[in-house]
Amino acid sequence: MTSEHLLELDHVSRIYGEEVEVHALDSVSLTIDAGEFVSIVGPSGSGKSTMLGLLGLLDLPSRGELRVSGLPVSEMTDAQRSRLRGDVVGFVFQQFHLIPYLDARRNVETALLYRGLSPTHRREMAMDALDRFSLADRAGHRPVQLSGGEQQRVAIARAIVTDPDLILADEPTGALDSTNAANVMEIFRGLHSPDRAVAIVTHDPLVAASAGRRISMRDGRIVADEQVEPVGRTSTSGGTLGDTSGPT
Amino acid sequence: MSNVRDLLGVAFSGLTAKPTRTLLIMLGPIIGVSAIVAAVGLTESAKGDLQQTLSELGTNLIKAEAAGSFGTQDPTFPEDVVIRVEALSTVESATAVINLSGIVTSPYAAADSYYTAFPIPVIAADSAFLDVMDIAMVSGRWINGFDDATAGRAAVIGSGLADEFAYIPGTERTISIGGFKYGVVGVMDRVVLEPNLDNAVVISPEAADRDFDSGLEATTLYVRSDPEQTLVTEDALPVAINLGGNDEVNTSVPTDALESAAAADTTLQAIVALMGGLALIVGGVGIANVMSISVIQRSSEIGIRRALGHGRGLIAWQFMLESVVVGLMGGIVGAGVGALVVTFVSRTRGWVVVLNPGLLLMGVVAAVGVSVVAGLYPSTKAARLEPLETLRLG
Ligand SMILES: Nc1ncnc2c1ncn2[C@@H]1O[C@H](COP(=O)(O)OP(=O)(O)O)[C@@H](O)[C@H]1O
Ligand SMILES: [Mg+2]
Repeated sequence: MTSEHLLELDHVSRIYGEEVEVHALDSVSLTIDAGEFVSIVGPSGSGKSTMLGLLGLLDLPSRGELRVSGLPVSEMTDAQRSRLRGDVVGFVFQQFHLIPYLDARRNVETALLYRGLSPTHRREMAMDALDRFSLADRAGHRPVQLSGGEQQRVAIARAIVTDPDLILADEPTGALDSTNAANVMEIFRGLHSPDRAVAIVTHDPLVAASAGRRISMRDGRIVADEQVEPVGRTSTSGGTLGDTSGPT
Repeated sequence: MSNVRDLLGVAFSGLTAKPTRTLLIMLGPIIGVSAIVAAVGLTESAKGDLQQTLSELGTNLIKAEAAGSFGTQDPTFPEDVVIRVEALSTVESATAVINLSGIVTSPYAAADSYYTAFPIPVIAADSAFLDVMDIAMVSGRWINGFDDATAGRAAVIGSGLADEFAYIPGTERTISIGGFKYGVVGVMDRVVLEPNLDNAVVISPEAADRDFDSGLEATTLYVRSDPEQTLVTEDALPVAINLGGNDEVNTSVPTDALESAAAADTTLQAIVALMGGLALIVGGVGIANVMSISVIQRSSEIGIRRALGHGRGLIAWQFMLESVVVGLMGGIVGAGVGALVVTFVSRTRGWVVVLNPGLLLMGVVAAVGVSVVAGLYPSTKAARLEPLETLRLG
């Protein structure tokens, strides 16, 4: 078993309910390496969000082991796991999930709290991140004063401001109109780098196609995990289970 | 340390997000602490005032009354009683007086029948009485040896009696005492430790014996003790007076009565302080209640913070600090309001304001303590929330 994968799911199950067990994730094994761009596709209820929650250390496996850089998560305290989550992972949600009473800048700054940064330094970092997505002039606006597309860009700024190793996005364009969705997807295509992996749950074929790797899920299992060529070329990977993605 | 700063910032922005709600839950500690501070502060100011009065009066005056042996009518002390008590080393000075009974005093003889029904106390006392009781004269003078030597009938009256008899100070005036005409030579001021004197008339023992055949045996004794030894002196008096006899002596320290009267006055303050404590506790319940609702309303915020890497402990601290800030601010404002009330009421009553900084601090600490307890439930509840359940991923 090679360690030093950025993330590793080792026969991980996530079971909800006690009397009637729901296997939201059923003995899934998977590794994600630094700098990968992964799309996760599958019908609704197939366990995509459940897997994303586990990859982001927001949840713990019911069975199996989850490792971050080779370190088993089950042996960490909540504080250690939280620290690791803050350092390694940046989340982007479908519903943006900004804190309603804070303006854009302070929402981004929230990701920088409890890290020993001076308020000035924190503010500069947040402003830089906002500026990167052309939101500098929106820094003082609260979420209700921003459009959906702007809110999602603030959320992306918040996700990258800590310079995480992995961005996890769960249907980030699901709540946006097509113009904004295209805009946000354009951003995501530019987010990944050799130092930063991106895993994105999406129904957008364009994004799915621009990712180098596509994981297809059904009924809590991975039914295909294939390397894909950039858009316009045919798939060369060994995955043979066909197209499992579809609208939900 | 920077974590504490960050936490404080987070708690403040959480509280200022809903300022009206924050102010409302702050009312509990404000009302509670201000009531406690006001009640205790006023009690202490009143006590300070009493202490001042007592130190002016001196707490070393002892009053002894002859009680005789069981069943004795009109008990009296031995004639040399003053010499006997002054032999005690702890006695500084003493004076004996005779409370004359059955003698009618009236402005003029024709009014006798009215003053028979409502008799005015007549006391035979010498000039030592003036010193021992620390009596101030409103006008005129005390009875002196010249009055006696010339068999003059001189009387000193209390200021209350002067009002009642419409006596104009400085004028010549006689009153009727037991049918004899006595000239008023002076009016004495109120004596806090013997309020009866205000309405009494004082004549010399010689005049009393001559006109009313009172004898020279006193009925009441006033003793000034060494201030440190008042209780010792009080205990020693009966023996010194009786020299082994079995006559009874009732002793009392008049200032004790003042102190117990003041103590009774503090009942109201104690009730107010108790109600302040109650308000503080109810306020704590209010904080706990509103904060718990706030935790539910802000569950997605909590999920977001968890996703951003804030651990359960930090979430718990965030809400605990919100509660504590409410308690602290409420406590400080409450202590300020209480201090204002104490200052205002004391001023209007002419008391010296006694505001113990420790009391203000105690009030703030109590409010913070209550808010810590109040914050325990909401903060643990917030910390226990599962981030995924509050975030509903897509
Ligand atoms: N908190 C939960 N309690 C019970 N069942 C859940 C819970 N969360 C998810 N599930 C179930 O787990 C399965 C996978 O859900 P999810 O991961 O959200 O799928 P997807 O994101 O692919 O639509 C579904 O059947 C869903 O009903
Ligand atoms: Mg989902």
